[in-house]
Amino acid sequence: MRERIEKALRKSDAEYTEIRIEAVTSSWVDFRGQELDSIGSSRTLGGIVRALVKGGWGYVTFNDLSDLETRVREACGSARLVGEGESTLGEVEPVVDEIRASFERDFRQIPLSEKKSVIEEYNKIILGYHERIETSNVSYTDSFRKFWYGNSEGTYIEDERPDVGVRISATAREGDNVQRGFESIAGGGGFQIIEGLQEKAEVTARRAVDLLSAPPVTGGKYPVIINPRLAGVFAHEAFGHLSESDFVYENDRMRELMVLGKRLGPDILNIVDDGTIRGLRGTHKYDDEGVRAGKNYLIKEGILVGRLHSRETAARMGEQPTGNARAIGYQYQPIVRMTNTYIDRAGAVLEDMIKDVKLGLYALDMVGGQTSMEMFTFSAAYGYMVRHGNIAELVRDVVLTGNVFETLMNIDMIGDTVEWPPAGGGCGKGGQSPLPVGLGGPYVRIQNVVVGGRQG
Amino acid sequence: MIVNRLIEKAMNKAEGAQASLGQGESTDVSFENDRLKSVRSSQSTAMGVRIIVDGRIGSSHTTDIDDVDGVVARALEAAEFGGPAHFRFPDPQEGPDVRVYDDRVPPVTKEEMVRIGGEMITLVKEYNPDILLSAGVSKGISYCQFANSAGIGHTTEDTTFTVWINGQLIRGTDILWAGHGFGWKKREIDHVSIAKKAIELFRMAEDTARIKSGDMPVIFAPEGVNVLVLALRLGFNGKNVFLGSSPLARKLGEKIADERFSIADNPLLDYASGSSTYDGEGVPHQVTRLIEGGVVKNFLYDLDTAGRAGTRTTGNGVGCDPTNLVIKEADTPYEAMVKDTKEGLLVHNVLGLGQGNPMSGEFSVNVELGYKIENGEVVGRVKDVMLAGNTYAALKNIAAIGDKAEWAGGLLLTPPIQVGRLSVVAK
Ligand SMILES: [Zn+2]
Repeated sequence: MRERIEKALRKSDAEYTEIRIEAVTSSWVDFRGQELDSIGSSRTLGGIVRALVKGGWGYVTFNDLSDLETRVREACGSARLVGEGESTLGEVEPVVDEIRASFERDFRQIPLSEKKSVIEEYNKIILGYHERIETSNVSYTDSFRKFWYGNSEGTYIEDERPDVGVRISATAREGDNVQRGFESIAGGGGFQIIEGLQEKAEVTARRAVDLLSAPPVTGGKYPVIINPRLAGVFAHEAFGHLSESDFVYENDRMRELMVLGKRLGPDILNIVDDGTIRGLRGTHKYDDEGVRAGKNYLIKEGILVGRLHSRETAARMGEQPTGNARAIGYQYQPIVRMTNTYIDRAGAVLEDMIKDVKLGLYALDMVGGQTSMEMFTFSAAYGYMVRHGNIAELVRDVVLTGNVFETLMNIDMIGDTVEWPPAGGGCGKGGQSPLPVGLGGPYVRIQNVVVGGRQG
Repeated sequence: MIVNRLIEKAMNKAEGAQASLGQGESTDVSFENDRLKSVRSSQSTAMGVRIIVDGRIGSSHTTDIDDVDGVVARALEAAEFGGPAHFRFPDPQEGPDVRVYDDRVPPVTKEEMVRIGGEMITLVKEYNPDILLSAGVSKGISYCQFANSAGIGHTTEDTTFTVWINGQLIRGTDILWAGHGFGWKKREIDHVSIAKKAIELFRMAEDTARIKSGDMPVIFAPEGVNVLVLALRLGFNGKNVFLGSSPLARKLGEKIADERFSIADNPLLDYASGSSTYDGEGVPHQVTRLIEGGVVKNFLYDLDTAGRAGTRTTGNGVGCDPTNLVIKEADTPYEAMVKDTKEGLLVHNVLGLGQGNPMSGEFSVNVELGYKIENGEVVGRVKDVMLAGNTYAALKNIAAIGDKAEWAGGLLLTPPIQVGRLSVVAK
């Protein structure tokens, strides 16, 4: 493959050209209710050529690999149509590297029948949990991605990225009241990470049943304590997306809002994006432009100190590439994305966060999150009211929203341990979803958070 | 045809099979930060088979057109452990007449697409040069072969064309997003009116209005109606109905909405994004009434789910999802809706839709683009406002339905809808 890629790259008359070829094998098992809904496997092979001429990008994606050289010429032609400025790319040393995935249980060696029986057991646990359980959805997916990447500066990388995950959902019903419990586990470590989840299945079913009798949270402003899983979502959704420089670099006013050195939070607040942590879903040795991944502080001691870059945004802003150009697959160009994003630990413990709260909310886990620049909303899977320093009744439909600049300033306590719950799903941006990311953090307390819901 | 070879191969071991091959080419022109940013062209191949062996289903797909043997072998392996089939592959049937191909799409050049995007940006910039714009123009042509072991064999060809523009206006720490776009299977899209619609949304947002928390009437502009429709997309899915996870499961024939409210799944509208002659299982498309006069009429089914539920497919395979949803017009002009509102909210776009428990109908969303109505006039844009409620409660509490339907995106054709009271939480 290296020879084919390099030969095709030589046909380019652009200032910069890269080719990424990707082969993916995947399989899935999907139970809905009593029955197996779908089982199967697939293979895809495709590629992308990207060319840069006078600051304009042309790119071509394809499944038919037979004529790479024509694809290169077409990408160059499109780039010429676009380009009318100056090309700038952050400097990186060319590398040649071959990476092989290492994992405990290689899911490619496991027959579909075994995958099915593992999933079927979780499904049975849910359906048998309680008479109010109406239905279930337990689905397994795995994918093994092999990449071949080469660019016109001499970089050549082969990489492998395995990902395996299970989504467990339980639906409980009482008349018109329908509630759902949800868990997802995913990671790159091998098949074993989705084994032994019997207890998770039971907890998921129990949550759906418990939520039937939980009232919706009363809308209003509360002190909110979020658990590590939700803290990770907060770091990613509420703040992380604003650190992606493609939002900022051609936007003078965003540059003003996100000027380095500005205070965005209290001294105890550190937010980091780190693509090098072993075993997490956002981890890679090189990003999809062949740039080495790194540990990048975004907020250090409450001060904005860094942001995430592709080679292009780094050059335009006079900063260093950070290894954050990522694409979800060969049909897409790499854009600035997060890897594993977390709020770093400070010194508090959960008990202390709760004990002086008169009326507040303890929000757990997540079922979704979205941002539009400084506005964010995220949905906790469930929550508990906190009353007079104690965790009180379970509540549902917990949606947190706000302006990130105000919310970060309102953080007043951060826990002493960073956790990385192995959640599935992923991040969406620019039509590219889901991209595997890592989300982590400790327990965090935030004052004055707007919680959506009916008025009390 | 390749699909016939796939069927032949599969039928050596299988008792039934279907095969499809889709090949497409598309071009996208993207503008970012006011400038032409990239031109992309793409070629795609997708080949899949679904088979039944000993009453069990297995499937597989690939992007490699030469992998006929591999894709069949993997489907056979999957079928060994597959779930039981509750259907037989259907016999050939005459399909309805619906237009999905426009021969004016293929000749559109990249240069012309660049010009369309550029003109839209110039128009919005003339209104306000501080708005930072992104825009896109896309075209696509795809060719599909389909066959099954019961004798269906057809090929279809369709085109797509899409134009959109989005702007961002920053004032201090305040960021306003607004935009408009439309896509369908026809070249004919008036990009000037799309730019003008975007300008209109910005113009209405020139002033900011404060709104107090509380229950108030809410008008959903066509784009905003998606807030209400999401629960219906999930609730009318026959699989969710069969499994009991849809709140509509036992409500066939029951009145669940205001009697002016009717919604149908209609894949037969010429050139609409969700239109085509056959569904993904070779079943002819049809119009399916979902709610008529407020009463639940039908759910959407594919072959297997219909078999399980003891009913007939509605041509919504595979997956029981809607194609184009069409909400029937009623009698209130949009202007009258606004004029009759003393104090209320007008919703265009929201953030956070689909989080939480969308199947239940509950929504709690951030109003990304919304306006305050005061004494019959739109007085300005609202900020930091959450809107919460339940689709099913809202449908019973409809105050007015517009007299003119518009496309919201590409898959929903709807008039504006005013709901009597919804909970609004302002900061
Ligand atoms: Zn994200």
